[in-house]
Amino acid sequence: MLISPHARDGSNIFLQTGNLTDVLRQMSVVGIIALAMTYVILTAGIDLSVGSTLALSTSLVAMFVVRPGPANLFLHAAFAMGIAVSASALVGVVNGMTIAALGIPPFIVTLASMIGIRGLAKWLTNNENIDIGFGSDAAARFADFVNSKMVILGTFALLAVIFWIVLERTIFGRYVRAIGDNEKAGRYTGLPIRRIKIWVYALAGLLTGIAGVLYAAENHQGNPNAGVAYELDAIAAVVIGGASLAGGSGSIGGTVIGTLIMGILTNILRLKNVDSNVEMMVKAVIIVLAVGIQKSGKKT
Amino acid sequence: MRYSVMVLATACLLASCGGPQQTSGKKYLVAFSQCNNAEPYRAAQNALMTKLFAEKHDVDLVIADAQQDNSKQVAQIEAFIRQKPDLLIVAPNERAPLTEVMGRAYRSGIPVICLERDIVQPNYTTYIKSDNHKIGEMAGNFIVDYLKKKNGVARGNIVELRGLLGVEGEMNRYAGAHEVFSKYPGIRIVHEAVADWIQAKAKDRMTEALRAQPRIDVVYAHNDPMAVGAYLAARELRREKEMIFVGIDGLSGPGGGIEKVHDGILAATFVYPLCVDKAVEVGDRILRDPNLKPEKTYTMDSVLVTPETKRPL
Repeated sequence: MLISPHARDGSNIFLQTGNLTDVLRQMSVVGIIALAMTYVILTAGIDLSVGSTLALSTSLVAMFVVRPGPANLFLHAAFAMGIAVSASALVGVVNGMTIAALGIPPFIVTLASMIGIRGLAKWLTNNENIDIGFGSDAAARFADFVNSKMVILGTFALLAVIFWIVLERTIFGRYVRAIGDNEKAGRYTGLPIRRIKIWVYALAGLLTGIAGVLYAAENHQGNPNAGVAYELDAIAAVVIGGASLAGGSGSIGGTVIGTLIMGILTNILRLKNVDSNVEMMVKAVIIVLAVGIQKSGKKT
Repeated sequence: MRYSVMVLATACLLASCGGPQQTSGKKYLVAFSQCNNAEPYRAAQNALMTKLFAEKHDVDLVIADAQQDNSKQVAQIEAFIRQKPDLLIVAPNERAPLTEVMGRAYRSGIPVICLERDIVQPNYTTYIKSDNHKIGEMAGNFIVDYLKKKNGVARGNIVELRGLLGVEGEMNRYAGAHEVFSKYPGIRIVHEAVADWIQAKAKDRMTEALRAQPRIDVVYAHNDPMAVGAYLAARELRREKEMIFVGIDGLSGPGGGIEKVHDGILAATFVYPLCVDKAVEVGDRILRDPNLKPEKTYTMDSVLVTPETKRPL
């Protein structure tokens, strides 16, 4: 009774289909980033630059979709999305190459790109939001289409399935896990460690780019200040899902559940009108509890 | 992963199986989505709204703070829509991102009051706004009158400190004043800087202006905190007596612009209406008469505050 949110007519709000899909939609952006973050963390790496990359992606897609482009609306939107997603993937490739080639710790490299890419996004947009209108032009059509719950949830679900299959059913997936488990052993057995690392960070950039496109459509704007602290939300989801920051252990299923826990919790607290500052404190406790329970479970 | 499944299952179970809560009977539920409690103007809005609705006795007011985050505000409004309040009041963080969700609330039959900031489509029952352009004109006229009195003719050097660029308030406070200034060739904006509404930034920008300009008559800041920042910079260089400081917002209470006028720091401020009194008045009428058709827009008037016109703190 303490937890369950009810409308004043006595019906349970949480269980309404509309509310459940609201939750899924609200967490999809972070959820998508968390999928790729799972791979990164499996290799014992970390990617702090995803929040800034998200901002870059929202800015680019908005810039190019409001600009006159190909006459065909679909082509126009696809062109803008393509630029945003490839630029984001490129950020990931550069992260991965710097980490793999120079041997600088991922924390430092992606901390640097977190700062640099934020600057780039702000510079490109002159630190102004780029509004996508509500008319009938390509930009508005793009936002209306991508903003639908079906598209957002579908994208998240599809990517989750793909990332699950790749991790569990392919050699690449096995390599990702092996690197995090024991990089030295991996090197001795001749795993293409550098190539795999570059791929993992490139995927993080790619998925963040896709998340950025969804974010831009949802908010009807490109925003160079979007996504602040999203890297931490994504990392939290992965860790709640049972991954270890030391690498080697973690799964896509766990990450999806970790994302769901965060999303559902926030939703319940909001339906109960809990103060948003208290919400943050509760989140903190949940993160520690979830990881603590898993740790003690593994020991026994 | 096994354990995270357990946590998830527990959370869902708790959320889905409690019995219905004690329904409070005949009380009205009013939900207010505030864009950012951290701004003093917003905090003043919350305080006044809480006070005015508390006087009604049969109204429960719930305030959600979006902490200047569009996505968070959208999610909070979505949660409100599920709760089916009798009235939803929204102070949108930004125009475009909030338009769609407010439309969903409005179409689901919840009366929606849009407070102070506009959205792209009229997805509201009524919109209560202030007129920044008019406030800009009032500030411009006040400054012209002051310069006429000080220098005999409308002539003088002005430093202008601007708010966050691209924001409606900034654009109109700028445009309104400049429409007045442009009629007087003797009035020169000798220095113009952007300080993003923030006192500390305004102090830095003003220090630069003071270094560059040997003679300044008036500092026109787009809000009171920036005017106070400019004053602090001038005082550090012992030039605060040389010029007057004009701000906008005129919040009452400790630390507000009205107090700064009272303390002799600002020569004038213009009250930027909280719009809350009107929102509560119209909102309360809607609660009691769901068929009421209020006007689509209400525009609130500003008031000039100087040491002479001082209002009670």
